[in-house]
Amino acid sequence: MESPFPKSSSADGEGRIVVRLLPQGISGLEAFAYQYPLKLITPMRPPETKSALVFILSYGGGLVGGDQVNLSIDVKTGAKLSLATQGHTKIFKSPSREVVTRQTLLVSIAPNAAVCLLPDPVQPFEASVYEQIQIFKLARSASLCLLDWVTQGRTARGENWSFVKWVGRNEVWTVADDQAAQDRLLVRDVVILDSKQAHPQLPTLCDSMHGVGVIGTLVLRGPLMKKLGEFFLAEFAALPRLGARDWRSEDMKKGSDIPLPPQEQWRAERLRMEKESKLLWSAANVRGCVVVKFGAPTVEAGRVWVGSMLAQEGSISQHFGAQALMCVR
Amino acid sequence: MKPSTEPCQNDSELDDEIADLERRLAQAKAKQPPQSALLTPAAHFLLLLSDSALPLGSFAFSSGLESYLAHHKALAHPAPHHRASFTSFLPLSVSSYSSTTLPFVLAAHRDPSLARLAALDDALDAAIVCTVGRRASVAQGRALLGIWERSFAGPGGVAAAAAAIAAAAAGVGAGKESGAEAMKGFSALLKTSSSSFSTSAGGGGGGTGDDDPPPVSAHLAPLFGAICALVGLDLAQTAYVFMLGHVKALVSAAVRAGVFGPYQAQKTLASATVQGLIAAMIEREWETKVEEAGQSVPVMDLWVGRHEVLYSRIFNS
Repeated sequence: MESPFPKSSSADGEGRIVVRLLPQGISGLEAFAYQYPLKLITPMRPPETKSALVFILSYGGGLVGGDQVNLSIDVKTGAKLSLATQGHTKIFKSPSREVVTRQTLLVSIAPNAAVCLLPDPVQPFEASVYEQIQIFKLARSASLCLLDWVTQGRTARGENWSFVKWVGRNEVWTVADDQAAQDRLLVRDVVILDSKQAHPQLPTLCDSMHGVGVIGTLVLRGPLMKKLGEFFLAEFAALPRLGARDWRSEDMKKGSDIPLPPQEQWRAERLRMEKESKLLWSAANVRGCVVVKFGAPTVEAGRVWVGSMLAQEGSISQHFGAQALMCVR
Repeated sequence: MKPSTEPCQNDSELDDEIADLERRLAQAKAKQPPQSALLTPAAHFLLLLSDSALPLGSFAFSSGLESYLAHHKALAHPAPHHRASFTSFLPLSVSSYSSTTLPFVLAAHRDPSLARLAALDDALDAAIVCTVGRRASVAQGRALLGIWERSFAGPGGVAAAAAAIAAAAAGVGAGKESGAEAMKGFSALLKTSSSSFSTSAGGGGGGTGDDDPPPVSAHLAPLFGAICALVGLDLAQTAYVFMLGHVKALVSAAVRAGVFGPYQAQKTLASATVQGLIAAMIEREWETKVEEAGQSVPVMDLWVGRHEVLYSRIFNS
């Protein structure tokens, strides 16, 4: 039987996706190519038409030590692309510190186009060495939702930030309309987790994580993500103050019989979850992008929290379809 | 290695000769009038830039210490290794600050030209993804620029003289001359930024606006590197003073937060641990490109960022 998936092509670990807005107003794949160990899948009959959907996978479900993946994505004017994964991106061990497993993602987003990258987290195994570089070049009216998160490893095997090194770099650039002008860097977020202790007084990598089992960064930019960004900033501003005393009487604490509005109810429930699952987060407006950082003791706590925030606000499913949220549900 | 007696003899003769020459050099030097290292302009500025009285306003920032303490206090039953202590916070903070910021100091010292300084400031502005951290970095950077303009490069021209001497010693007179001009150019750039971007600089509302960020923001690290280069501090001194300044600010914050008293504070500052830690961090970041600088302690971003949600605060970060 012929494979239902587009034919694989190009050099080792290279991949290319071009998304274009089709005449009937839906986003379609104009180019779709990949080479081992990279694997891309797109549904033949997409469940939704708000955005094109591509799964970024790897053969065997993970990247072996020294694997190199270079994926370049071009989203043309007005088109929308959702990127997802099917399970954690596993990073297998490297024979030595010098053998770096690397993924590079270059995404170019044209005017009024948008990309939503909400993958499962990266799961680096013990003794792995990994570097991930994701560069997004956005036209002025382009939009981006980017989630990058990494876990402590295989907890079932007792792994707890047991890898050799993990480096993640995310860059968001704005591309000038004028060809002659230079691109401008808006955000460069780099996380370097290195097991090498530069000084004996420094804690081990695991201890320096302070009980956090997953850390994540969410970056939002552009007109389609404006509301979502404001939502995160507003929810952050509305967090209860740490160390505040509750001066209300016992009766007041029990609450009145009048039910809270749905938004308030949702918030109260979310805050209870944050407290219970020991999830910490912060949000900031950095040069026209909203950058959200979070950390939680378990992957599930992180997933539930991100999913709840994105679903509650609604912009992601409105602009990309519910399919874009599948990895954070 | 082959055993051989002859080289050994030669070695001991050489040692004797060296010892003799060194003794004679010391005798000759003793006849000279005193010429202590403290008398060089660079050493003078080393002392000024490392002085706690340097009005950077560093006392207003705890670099996440206050938030770290509050977050640990809020935990009902912290695990034993997660109990709040300054001893465990200090190395984390030094590691985090050096991995995110020190490469910018080093890069600005290596090339303090206006174009490079502005580019470094812009790159650092893109890399500090936290409101509280940005506030601390920009407040101290602007204060340092003010010190340069009003005090160091003022009518007395003390800094200019020092730079001239340093330049003469290095044999690059013309290069250093443009260094002071680079600072002037940077200030001018900052003034245009502040006037046309005054609304967006607050970073409060907005969200995902289309406005371009201002050309420069005046972050501490690149300006510190450039000014140290201008007054003749070498690269290693600059890095050391920068990192020690961070440790001093942390220790002083700890005293004011009631973590320990002034003697314990000095004991911490004087410790071999702090010295070794700073040296190790400088070595780790010596070759780090600014594009690859980043957060080595991710929870630090959470503590610093969440300083905003503390009920009561004595610090601005």
